[in-house]
Amino acid sequence: MAELETPAQPPRQGSAPAWTSAQTRTQFTAIAWLRWRITANSLARRGGAGELAGRASTAMIFFLFLFLCVLGAGLVGFLCVSQGHMERIAWLLWGIFLLCQLLNIQLGQRATNFDPVQLIRFPMRESNYVAIRLFFGILTPANVTGTLMALAAALGVVAAAPALWLQALIALGAFAATNVLFSRMLFAWVDRWLSTRRSRELFTSFILAISLAVQWANFTFNPAYNHHSTHAYSLSPQHLAWITHLLRSSAPVLAVLPPELAGSSLSAARLGHTLGFAGDTLADCAYGALFLLVFALRMRREFRGENLSETAFGVRPAKISPAKLRGGPTPAATQTLPSAALPAAARLRLLELVTTVLQKEILYARRNMGVLYGLLMPIFLVVIFASKFASVAQSPVWVFPAAVAYILLAVCPLSYNIFGLDGTGVQIFFLAPVRMRDVILAKNLLSVLTAAIEVILIFFLIAAMAGAPSPEIALATLLWAAGTLGVNLILGNQRSLASPWRIDPQRLARRQTSPLSALLSLAVLAVCAGLAVLLYAGCLWLHAMWALAPASALFAAAGMGAYAQTLRSMDGLALQHREELMQELCKLS
Amino acid sequence: MLPAIATHALTRSFDGFTAVDHIDLAVEPGQFFGFLGPNGAGKSTTIKMLTGLLAPSSGSVQILGQDLFYNPIEVKRQIGVVPEGMALFARLTALEYLRFVGRMYGLDKATTEQRAAELLEFMGLADQARKLIADYSHGMGKKLALAAAVIHGPRVLFLDEPFEGVDAIAAGTLKAMLQGMIARGATIFLTSHVLEIVERLCSHVAIINHGQIVAHGSLEELRAGVQACWPPDAAAREENPPQGNLTLEQIFLKVVGGEAAAHPEQELTWLS
Repeated sequence: MAELETPAQPPRQGSAPAWTSAQTRTQFTAIAWLRWRITANSLARRGGAGELAGRASTAMIFFLFLFLCVLGAGLVGFLCVSQGHMERIAWLLWGIFLLCQLLNIQLGQRATNFDPVQLIRFPMRESNYVAIRLFFGILTPANVTGTLMALAAALGVVAAAPALWLQALIALGAFAATNVLFSRMLFAWVDRWLSTRRSRELFTSFILAISLAVQWANFTFNPAYNHHSTHAYSLSPQHLAWITHLLRSSAPVLAVLPPELAGSSLSAARLGHTLGFAGDTLADCAYGALFLLVFALRMRREFRGENLSETAFGVRPAKISPAKLRGGPTPAATQTLPSAALPAAARLRLLELVTTVLQKEILYARRNMGVLYGLLMPIFLVVIFASKFASVAQSPVWVFPAAVAYILLAVCPLSYNIFGLDGTGVQIFFLAPVRMRDVILAKNLLSVLTAAIEVILIFFLIAAMAGAPSPEIALATLLWAAGTLGVNLILGNQRSLASPWRIDPQRLARRQTSPLSALLSLAVLAVCAGLAVLLYAGCLWLHAMWALAPASALFAAAGMGAYAQTLRSMDGLALQHREELMQELCKLS
Repeated sequence: MLPAIATHALTRSFDGFTAVDHIDLAVEPGQFFGFLGPNGAGKSTTIKMLTGLLAPSSGSVQILGQDLFYNPIEVKRQIGVVPEGMALFARLTALEYLRFVGRMYGLDKATTEQRAAELLEFMGLADQARKLIADYSHGMGKKLALAAAVIHGPRVLFLDEPFEGVDAIAAGTLKAMLQGMIARGATIFLTSHVLEIVERLCSHVAIINHGQIVAHGSLEELRAGVQACWPPDAAAREENPPQGNLTLEQIFLKVVGGEAAAHPEQELTWLS
């Protein structure tokens, strides 16, 4: 047996030299370069300049929001300290924390432009993988907002009490880091839990339900929406007492959480209690370390090759009948039919095709929580909104038109990316013996039907809750909606073909179209709404309200007529843009 | 007799790069035609142009005597395609998808239902018919794509890598189905990197390289052509021509890969 004995760890002849830190740095640089190149290449594609402009516009809106939040946080921080209410800093920090989480849910975690799990095939240390996963994609709007608000609060504190500059920066810096680490940990685990479609759909429903509840609470308790109401839903003393009781009973638990710890550490610093400040700050840092550890544990599993693919669960092997294997198949499906033998009835008629595509679209809409939410949420909000006018005999003149415009705001963007959810399935429309004009007509019909159903529903809801609008306003509004829908469909179809946007149903994102298309739909709606206001004002000024409906009818006829005209050119346009469609929709996720 | 598939000077360029360069093809009705080529040779680009998924820069395509670009609807009624991306709708179930495709090809409801059920049973997907396609494995997706491609009984079938990811049992079943279609007069145009499959199934083969057809004919014709081209001094260089029939792999390597094999000095010596 002696010949079997080998040294415990024999030195491998010709083994690779040890991995160096320079190689690790090279990896980090390569990944950063990869992300940059993917972004740059996607913008260099046809239509990329428009998308860049769209993103720039969205970014400007975000920066304005960010500026206001940061300014507000700084101001509140200053006021808390200058007015001697240091303990209220904790409230501000709770606000920052909640806003950060709400933004994370509403805007989503900014997806990296490649799947970072692919990196596990490279020679990489586990710790480096964790670091890469931690830092790449960290600049989400929510994290940036939360961090800058915390730093602004620190500056506010420093402005009111310059002696506290070091403590304020340390305490609020630790809070900001903990906040970011919490988000990273939470979403890493949420990704794990949402690795199957069913759990993802359940979670999406849950999030959307929360979102609706927030909207309801906003409408119900926000004084800005309660000027004209009977105050039936405004915050009553009973509500206030209940909320105060809830806060008091949860205070012991809240006191040991990061926002309270950061607040109390600042209070301790203000009173000169160095130990108290250090203890609370260290406790805050311990939370950060804990979040980092839990995040690292998740990443460790991922690094070790955990397989969370959709098909990893519950796929049974297919059974094929032995008879088929022996004799070979002769299914009717594979019998060839000479073209001339096809019965006339089998030739596809427009109605049949439109019905078939429409059925498929309805199935898709039913199974897409984002689309469903977009369609149902306006009705929900209009109901809440209409309830504000429950006490008046007839609703103000603008309620129905405003509700319809709001409905169109939700429905119209869907027509700007009608192939987005089809993915590789879009090829069927080019392979099948059908005209793209008919396919697009069917897809448009879904938008028109959805808008029609929602508008009718809204009409009856408003009539029941806040009184029916006057007949001329109702008619003019409906005609305006038809014209606006026509204009939106014209532009939407063009954008759907020329600038498609692949919607990944596996992701939680609710963006249904490209940023530029979303902006365009908003602009078209704004212009149409402006036109409606001008028409109304003109009729009012001329004391000719009878002219409102005919003028709106002209607008509707122009919109729908122009739509019918452009529909004829859809076959050519689809062929012209089929490569863009395939490139975007059939790309690998 | 008119060819089932005919192309004339079919060309496609992308930003100055010619992916497919003036190819002339003629596939007779009833042929099981293999279209081979190394990666990037232009196979998928050609199949996309033959099925109307991609516009050619120039040239023409005729399917069963009809011009694809002048009579696209009529041509598409006659063809079935399993394209590169499989053309599946992830958020439909297999049954819903087949119903949808059947109706898109103009089948009536009853025929669509009957054929969909039969195809699902045949493909071994009947017990997964109500599962969303998003939850299917790659191989299951391939089988479903093939079922969708034949549901309307096409006379010409285009298959882009149809056996990729399909298990051996299912692959055997599919091959038998395709041979049955050929026996009933259909024409099949197939691309695959698995040369054994092509050799077993196809009667005729074309090889494309750098966008141009470099070999075209029946397997016997290709064998004869390659053997005739074997250099007479091969024996002196110890490159004996193979005894007996050349395999398709040998033909393929001789036609497109010969240069690489002839330069052993290009071996990657740093590989352990």
